[in-house]
Amino acid sequence: MTDREPRDAHASVATYLKVALVLTAVTALEVGVIYIRQLTPILVPLLLVMAAAKFALVVLFFMHLRYDSRALSILFVGPLTIAVGLAVALMTLTGAFLVFGR
Amino acid sequence: MSTKPASAFLRPPTARAGPAAPATIIISWLTTTDHKRIGILYGVTAFVFFLVGGLEALVIRLQLARPGATVVSAETYNALFTMHGTTMVFLAVMPLNAAFFNYMVPLMIGARDVAFPRLNALSYWIFLVGGLFLNASFLVGAPPDAGWFGYANLTSIQFSPGLSIDFWVLSLQVLGVSSMIAGVNFIATILNMRAPGMTLMRMPLFVWMTLVVQFLIVLAFPPVTVGLIFLMFDRFFGTHFYDVAAGGDLHLWQHLFWIFGHPEVYILILPAFGVVSEVVPTFARKPLFGAPVVIYSGVLIGFFGFGVWSHHMFATGMGAVADAAFSIGTMLIAIPTGVKIFNWLATLWGGAIRTTTALHFAVGLIAQFTIGGLSGVMHASPPVDLQQTDSYFVVAHLHYVLIGGSLFGLFAAFYYWWPKMTGRYLGERLGRWNFWVMVVGFNLAFFPQHYLGAMGMPRRIYTYGPEPGWGFWNLASTIGAFTLGVGVLIFVVNALRSLRSGAPAPGDAWDGRTLEWRTSSPPPPHDFDTVPPVYGRDSFWREKRGRVPPTAPAPAPAEPHGVHLPAPSAWPVVIALGIGVAATGALAHPALLAVGALATVYGIFAFALEHHGNPAHAVQVGDLGVDHRKLGMWAFLGSECFFFGTLIATYLAYKGRSVTGPTPHEILNIPVTSVSTFDLLMSSLLMVLALAAAQRGDRAQCRLWLGGTALFGTIFLGFQAYEFTSFVHEGLTLTTNLFGSTFFVLTGFHGGHVTIGVVWLLTLLYLDLRGRLDVTDAVKVEIAGLYWHFVDIVWIVIFTVVYLIP
Repeated sequence: MTDREPRDAHASVATYLKVALVLTAVTALEVGVIYIRQLTPILVPLLLVMAAAKFALVVLFFMHLRYDSRALSILFVGPLTIAVGLAVALMTLTGAFLVFGR
Repeated sequence: MSTKPASAFLRPPTARAGPAAPATIIISWLTTTDHKRIGILYGVTAFVFFLVGGLEALVIRLQLARPGATVVSAETYNALFTMHGTTMVFLAVMPLNAAFFNYMVPLMIGARDVAFPRLNALSYWIFLVGGLFLNASFLVGAPPDAGWFGYANLTSIQFSPGLSIDFWVLSLQVLGVSSMIAGVNFIATILNMRAPGMTLMRMPLFVWMTLVVQFLIVLAFPPVTVGLIFLMFDRFFGTHFYDVAAGGDLHLWQHLFWIFGHPEVYILILPAFGVVSEVVPTFARKPLFGAPVVIYSGVLIGFFGFGVWSHHMFATGMGAVADAAFSIGTMLIAIPTGVKIFNWLATLWGGAIRTTTALHFAVGLIAQFTIGGLSGVMHASPPVDLQQTDSYFVVAHLHYVLIGGSLFGLFAAFYYWWPKMTGRYLGERLGRWNFWVMVVGFNLAFFPQHYLGAMGMPRRIYTYGPEPGWGFWNLASTIGAFTLGVGVLIFVVNALRSLRSGAPAPGDAWDGRTLEWRTSSPPPPHDFDTVPPVYGRDSFWREKRGRVPPTAPAPAPAEPHGVHLPAPSAWPVVIALGIGVAATGALAHPALLAVGALATVYGIFAFALEHHGNPAHAVQVGDLGVDHRKLGMWAFLGSECFFFGTLIATYLAYKGRSVTGPTPHEILNIPVTSVSTFDLLMSSLLMVLALAAAQRGDRAQCRLWLGGTALFGTIFLGFQAYEFTSFVHEGLTLTTNLFGSTFFVLTGFHGGHVTIGVVWLLTLLYLDLRGRLDVTDAVKVEIAGLYWHFVDIVWIVIFTVVYLIP
């Protein structure tokens, strides 16, 4: 991590509106795909990917991580990664990993 | 550099900006925001708790001194070892470390204070309230008695009725709040408030270890907080998190506790490693050997610390794969630890050593911690661990780490930094007595416990018969414990003598290497008359010897209105008292709980608005080019990832385990929740538009979008209220089954976060409507926005894993 590296200014209002549009569309897709029987085998990964995409869009654009100091990205993405790893490990160790629908 | 008498640091500082100095000394201490005074408050309070925890230990050792002793009853013994462990971890060693973080870190990085001085005071007062609340359990005859680890279901209402576990649960949560606040504060301070020229790799080792520890605190506390919340809900509201009959899993508590508990070991020991890394080079008169490697080792220890928790659970039967993974992780963590030990030895090698008491304690740590570390490596092997689990061998191991390591490190710090804090030296002759009596006492107390463990003596038994032949080593251990106590008393005598008539210490008391020695002893309220330049690692030592590079770092920006110091504030005390009253009310009477909650909320508002509009607080941009408040919020959000990650993981782990209905697919209303999800996503859009308007000074637009965001948030809460109400009508409550418990707690805590966000936004809107929110306050809108967007992304995950995934 370098010490001082502010990046450029935040996104424009137009960018925010586009991101909101994509978020709306992906949410509609999420709700839609659960009713499509043919997608059942890939439903869980599909939903997780779409949720991850929405998560990333909000963090990168609305929370400005794409434009802010890289230190802030490290400060958030580092703990987020460890938290996800711990959550997966916790589910595995309690014998419940990927038991959706049990 | 001037020297001052010891009594000087007891006087209220007078060179303050802001409101007039408080009238009395007591009020000045109650309202202080000076990092040095808060450090002293932490130190004195924690030392008193340390003596209390030590007395508890001595009674334990008296009871075990001979077979069949009846000094205390079995019940009292249980309470003593529970309170001893809890006190030493949370009320003694952690806050003693915090005393040095507070006093020394700003001085070592060339800062005038911490990033959030009032939050610093708040974390101290909450700590004090938490400590007093825990020990108040003695006064009502209900001290906690289920061990410092509080294993479920020993802590359930069925097996621990009464108030004892309630005291433990509530006080640990209060103490956790204190630690979290301090953690965020020191992350922002260290990353953002370093003197010009002090790059990260030039920071003193103690500061580095402090930084690692703060990350461990803000990331490791949330999982145990969630575990405690589950326990509290089980006990207070009848949920089923640790109810096996309802499908709950007792191992969940152990996982959540040790996900915190093992990093906690590093939270306790890494500051001591930092102290040794300062003391050894100073008294060897050599730079620390391989300083970057020591830094990387500390960071690696912190990182690996999150991947080894289940080695505390080998005996629970996790299976070969889990055992192997955690065994390998535990053995790996020994590598960076060993690296540090070799680096300290290499620093001593060939040095012009001054054998001060501080160095004695540092070397004592190296030797004794190594013994504790080696027995730790033995535990890393599951077959060996199975033989040692719950035996006195483990008691010996953990005390070699926490006394031989952490406590000896703290005593090294006492002797090293006492002259800086008081302007007087501690006596070296008494210091040697202090050291050698402690070394003899400690090793006599705890080395025999290795034998006792190997001979099969279980831990936590209150008495034993003569047959196993444990009497001799137990008597030796008890004599050792009392000898250790005498060693601590010698320190107390030495400290009192020093305060009264100790030899005056100059600013640079030890021919030091780091910036704290560049100011007077004790330092002035503003720490440094001018912000010191930093020329490299061991900057002050280089400066004294003329080893200054031709290109000096850019000077610190001029302070146009003179030195600005944080003004005193009474609100931290008010908030802490409110929390204390609320916690008491939770056990005594709902009315008292309501009074405490109201006082806390009122105090928080007053605290938040105390300096609103003060131009001196408008810009707080630091080293990273980021506002302190924004940096602090991001650190907090990292911690929140752990909080919600744990809640969500628990929901998924328990999914499908309810033994009764209703089940999720029978009750969840996806169309309605889809609308509320859309509503919350759009609130994020409005929030970011409000920020854009605030940044360009368009107050009308800012008001519009802030109001819109709050409205959308309120609509989301309305949806949630509708959903909860309909579920209750359909027969699903917190207590119906495991699904009800996990669902309501997860979504309820998210709803609580949304509620806080709405109140925050309405407060900003109110300020704007009153004309008190201008373009310089855009950062406040930005920070509220970060929180709001985080609540939004948490819901994105909850919506998927709770509602959409079948």
